[in-house]
Amino acid sequence: MTDLETYRAKAAAWCESMVPTFGKAARKGLAVEEDLALGRRYQKAKFDAGYAGINWPTDLGGQGLGHLEKITFEGEEMKHGFPNVYFGISLGMPVPVLMQFGSDREFVKERVLKALQGEEIWCQLFSEPSGGTDLAGLRTRAETDGNGWKINGQKVWTSWAQYSDYGVIVVRTDPTVAKHKGLTYFWVDMKAPGVTVRPIKLAGGDSHVNEVFFDDVKISDDHRMSPVGGGFAVALATLMIERYVATDSAGFGPHLDLFVDLAKEVRLNGRPAIEDGRIRQQIARNYAMRAGLDSINRRARLMMQAGMTPGPEGSLNKLVAVRSRQKLSELALDLQGTDAFAFDEHASLKDDWASSWINAPTGRIAGGSDETLLNTIAERILGLPQDHRPDKGIPFNQIPA
Amino acid sequence: MSILYDEGQHAIATESRRALEGRVSKDDLLPLLQTSGRYHENFWTTAKEQGWTALALPEAFGGLALGLVELGLIAHQAGRSLSGAPFLTSSFGAAKAIELYGNDTQKARWLPGLASGETIGAVAFAAGPDPLPARPGVALKAGKLGGRAVGVSGGLFADVAVVFADEGGTSVLAIADLAGVARDAIDSFDNSRCIADLTFADTPAETLVTGEAARTAALHILALQAVVTAHEQTGGAEALMETARDYALTRKAFGQPIGAFQSIKHRIAELYGLVELARANAIHAAAREEQDDFIIAAAAARLSATEAYDTAARDCVQIHGGIGVTWEIGLHLHIRRSRTLALEQGSSFFWEDVLVDRLAGGAA
Repeated sequence: MTDLETYRAKAAAWCESMVPTFGKAARKGLAVEEDLALGRRYQKAKFDAGYAGINWPTDLGGQGLGHLEKITFEGEEMKHGFPNVYFGISLGMPVPVLMQFGSDREFVKERVLKALQGEEIWCQLFSEPSGGTDLAGLRTRAETDGNGWKINGQKVWTSWAQYSDYGVIVVRTDPTVAKHKGLTYFWVDMKAPGVTVRPIKLAGGDSHVNEVFFDDVKISDDHRMSPVGGGFAVALATLMIERYVATDSAGFGPHLDLFVDLAKEVRLNGRPAIEDGRIRQQIARNYAMRAGLDSINRRARLMMQAGMTPGPEGSLNKLVAVRSRQKLSELALDLQGTDAFAFDEHASLKDDWASSWINAPTGRIAGGSDETLLNTIAERILGLPQDHRPDKGIPFNQIPA
Repeated sequence: MSILYDEGQHAIATESRRALEGRVSKDDLLPLLQTSGRYHENFWTTAKEQGWTALALPEAFGGLALGLVELGLIAHQAGRSLSGAPFLTSSFGAAKAIELYGNDTQKARWLPGLASGETIGAVAFAAGPDPLPARPGVALKAGKLGGRAVGVSGGLFADVAVVFADEGGTSVLAIADLAGVARDAIDSFDNSRCIADLTFADTPAETLVTGEAARTAALHILALQAVVTAHEQTGGAEALMETARDYALTRKAFGQPIGAFQSIKHRIAELYGLVELARANAIHAAAREEQDDFIIAAAAARLSATEAYDTAARDCVQIHGGIGVTWEIGLHLHIRRSRTLALEQGSSFFWEDVLVDRLAGGAA
């Protein structure tokens, strides 16, 4: 066995051993707060076992291993439905960016250790009501206030803000220059006076995203993580940190095997649905598509192992997988007919077609809509021109509203 | 497991690209459409000279003992440049059938010629919509073939054919010298494929495999060819995606390149996705040649490659507007070829069934 295979085997065994305490059965029927509490214990167990901060520096509580070990562990972890979702953003972007750009190193170390052990959660305050894709068009402002700053405005779609202790935030500090030049990056205490978090209930029934209001929230200048006016670059760096995460060709929905099983059970026109050409075609097409994504992901891993940078085709996963999961989930409900009406809001996305279906639109939009991703492919990979942008180069306060 | 190409494989890709881009042009290919029974001789000469015919055959018979991965790289480039003849795939299929299922005499008789390219091979399995018919139109009786094999790519010039035939109610895979076999050229929308109906009349033939094993063997040969074709389709789709991109960058309307309009950008970005999925599946399938899941991998490669090339052929023309449908610009060469390659080695219907039968554990 190669070192990585040994690592995978150990990780798999550890994950397996966690199933009784933290697996799907243990989580069944828990209220969100109870599940979060279980999640904190799971995160601590990961930390104790050496599976938290796998590719982070050891002096900050990490394991000092590589990206491959991290995605290898995540690939195993993903199979079990552990309560890790509350920490995904926190440890995925804000905390790494704090490690990279936080100026007070003692503070940084303390925060990182608490975050790794599930004691503290960080959120990322980027999107606003006026736009999510157009990040640089944000309107929340910070004005100087004595030696520090005063923040006013509103963020939205902030995942897990209601449970967060801290957040990283991009705000406008100068409206008189072009939009991406007037931004500055800070961290904020989510419990500070003037911060109000209001959960948003989503179409599928859950409320993991929030509106966050800032009313005269005062912070000192040591919260600043970028030069004044240099926030956009740090924001981009934040978004680039997690370029290569463990991906899922099922689009974080049910595996195709479950669809095949369903098609074998259900009868259509008096025959098993698996014999129906329309169903067979969908199975075949979805298999081919998912197999392609799996091969792309495997090649990316091989390239990383060989010390190369994986190709840009890795960016297809989210676009292709979630979109097709949505359609396949519709089809799975169609197959069940009136039997499909029964709905459990808390069922797992990974093995319940209705849950997968109702939450698929969220998946298609979160982290970039299809249209945004297609623009990125067209511009960054294929070298096609940017869209017409009437706000380009114009001072922010002169952009037509 | 998928693979990363090694240095030698990269060299094959680069060299074949250089060779074909220098020697095959649309100006050569366009006239072939309007005449029946001719192929692009320079293409085939190049294939022989470069050793592509020998690439995936055993050294003992003049081959280079490389495999599907390397042949796939050549096919990818042939797809980009539009191959001028179908023989690379048809001869490969015939040669693999002889190599895998033939006896020493048969191998010694046919493989050296197929490896050098002096002998052209064909695979005659299909009957109309059925790539592996339950009742083939050709029958083997007392060592002689009779009946008609229809729509055989390369059949017009093939010296030897591997035939899927009926022998007293069971299937048989047989090999026949085509000297003296009547061939009727089919005037097709893609004439350089040299497609012909072969009429066997007391044609001496030798058995390779019989019974259910003949069907399994024939499917294996089809799958090997399908993986080669999938690379060719991916190459064609990639070339069209790039052509569309280049056109969208230069063509202007309403004061800007049309590539700045999202309707155009997104269409091309979607093509990129299809091409990369097809590429990933093709490379994976080529690397699975010796494995249990080879048929599944080949089917997936085949399906996504057909979808990629078909879509690219449609959309590339669409992005060009009027100029795209002219004879001279030659995009119709790809439209034609995308259909030819979608039909050779079995349509998507066939491969969907092959795939789902296996995924469902033979339930259907």
